Amino acid sequence: MKIFRLTTNAFKGLGKNKMRSFLMMVGIIIGIATLIVILSVTQGANKKIMARINNFGPNAIMVHSGGGKMRGPSSVSEANLTQQDLHDISSIDGVKIVTPFQVKLNMPIKYQSQFTSATVMGVMPDWADAWKRGASKGNFVGTEDVELLKKVCVIGQTVKKELFADINPIGAKLLIGKVKFKVQGILQKRGASPGGSDFDNLIIIPFSTASRRLMNQPKYIAMMRVIVDDPSHLKVISRQIGQVLRHNHHLASQEEDDFRLTSSTQIIKMIKGVSNTLHIFLLLISGLSLIIGGIVIMNIMLISVSERKKEIGLRKAVGARSKEILLQFVLESLVVTLSGGILGFIVGILGVKIMELLTNTPAVVSWEAFVLAFGFSFIVGIVFGVQPARKAARLDPVEALR
Amino acid sequence: MNNIIQTKAITKIYSKDGNITVKALQDISLEIEKGEFVAIMGASGSGKSTLMNIIGCLNRPTGGEYFLEGENVNNLSDDDLARIRNSKIGFVFQQFHLLPRTDALENVELPLLYSDRSDISKLAQKALEIVGLADRIHHYPAELSGGQQQRVAIARALVNNPEIILADEPTGNLDSRAGLEVISVFQQLHAEGKTVILVTHAQEIAEHADRIIRIKDGKITGDERVRNPLNAREELQNIPEETEVTQ
Repeated sequence: MKIFRLTTNAFKGLGKNKMRSFLMMVGIIIGIATLIVILSVTQGANKKIMARINNFGPNAIMVHSGGGKMRGPSSVSEANLTQQDLHDISSIDGVKIVTPFQVKLNMPIKYQSQFTSATVMGVMPDWADAWKRGASKGNFVGTEDVELLKKVCVIGQTVKKELFADINPIGAKLLIGKVKFKVQGILQKRGASPGGSDFDNLIIIPFSTASRRLMNQPKYIAMMRVIVDDPSHLKVISRQIGQVLRHNHHLASQEEDDFRLTSSTQIIKMIKGVSNTLHIFLLLISGLSLIIGGIVIMNIMLISVSERKKEIGLRKAVGARSKEILLQFVLESLVVTLSGGILGFIVGILGVKIMELLTNTPAVVSWEAFVLAFGFSFIVGIVFGVQPARKAARLDPVEALR
Repeated sequence: MNNIIQTKAITKIYSKDGNITVKALQDISLEIEKGEFVAIMGASGSGKSTLMNIIGCLNRPTGGEYFLEGENVNNLSDDDLARIRNSKIGFVFQQFHLLPRTDALENVELPLLYSDRSDISKLAQKALEIVGLADRIHHYPAELSGGQQQRVAIARALVNNPEIILADEPTGNLDSRAGLEVISVFQQLHAEGKTVILVTHAQEIAEHADRIIRIKDGKITGDERVRNPLNAREELQNIPEETEVTQ
């Protein structure tokens, strides 16, 4: 009951000095708003990362031809993986699927008078299992298509939209480079590829057709996708694949790999590396605003204690105990910081919404953000409110009333 | 014995800058009975305010003993003193000490905030009725005249129904009519059985009490009964109404 009265009193005090209260809150509002923006953007980014990992496959390893740093898919021109490699990898313990595929980026595609360019992949039928992605309409690449080097293709949604608009493309003939292919299916939609590009701007053709009839690479394989039985085995199996390939490619111990292995863990590292710097910078701003906001509050509270000496003296004279004065001033500071925190939360959400509109980055506002905003406001209120409150509580009533 | 207040050889010594000490009170022994109306008189610097602060438990004596309703105050903690000030004593100050931007009712409620009572605004309203300000409960101090402000302050001193009313120069900032109005409230409270202690430097104010204790240089120099105390209400009838300045 007493604490309730003191709290309402603190709120009333806030209302009596609107300008001062607002100035006290500014730092907290900025600090909390920044915090909310960071949290929401980070969580949005994490969601995006998770989506990419799911696209990549949490239990997949990609084998690229050619060494060096991680980048997009390897093209047929640098292909150096062999049938022997494929065979040896498939006999490693824990490997469920190994599917080879040829890749060529930005191939010119033509249908009647429409032109576009797309990534072309030559795949085996089990590519669909390895990517959990088949034909949403028509047929995917079948065993017979591969055996007979058929000139058939399955097109991605973007390609369909570019070339066919609303026409049913199945049965149509299009040109990939100078070779004519018959469309026999449409690929399931996927969105972003593991590298971040449009994974629907894609044409799938039989592996053998790609190797011999389109890309002129009968001997080597550009890429393989390996699916393991359990994500926890990724590390071990990756190492084994590395050993097999180094052995098969006769690499001396001082020579660098002439292939690259990627799995979900590396994808996370790559994406997070970019955003971390920005997040640290923003967190710094948020932290500084909160500290400066707290110092401002402490300063104004100290001034307020001096200004209100008579009030404090009077309250003591009519029976307020020191701890009740302490409580009153801590509550006043808490009311300021918590109100600032709530305003900051609202400003932060507005900021997040504006950022979403302007930059098209997804953001997630969560209840954790609210709890954190509340918690930080509370801590700032206590930390920077206690010192002025103790000063007030220690005042001698006779001196204060003089 | 019916002494509500008893001091035994109280001294109060302030030390300034370490070496210089000021004896504000020396060897003060006095007894005040329940229901008395006492004026403590003295020039400024005589120690009368110091004595009032000690009687009001705002301050502690350096030496001697002080019994309030038979309880030795020397043995009490600061929190106990706060509890006594809250329940047994009502203060009235020369400068009123009302909270600005806070209406009369809330000002009067203030002591109740620190008590365990729950019917706060009802009690505050009743106290304002006693001092004749029932129609001003939502006025802010700035909207009230000096006399009205002091009456709000008296209502605040009354609201906890204390045994003792302590007033330190309550008429010092008021014109004579407003001063008499305030004194008449004290006389009314005294008539209802409250112990009223009035600190003043003015003889004509002190003569409204039953008893005058004179203080000079921290010592009691006189303690006498007033044979025929002045009646503030009667005096008011002889002063024209217009003298009160409303701000």
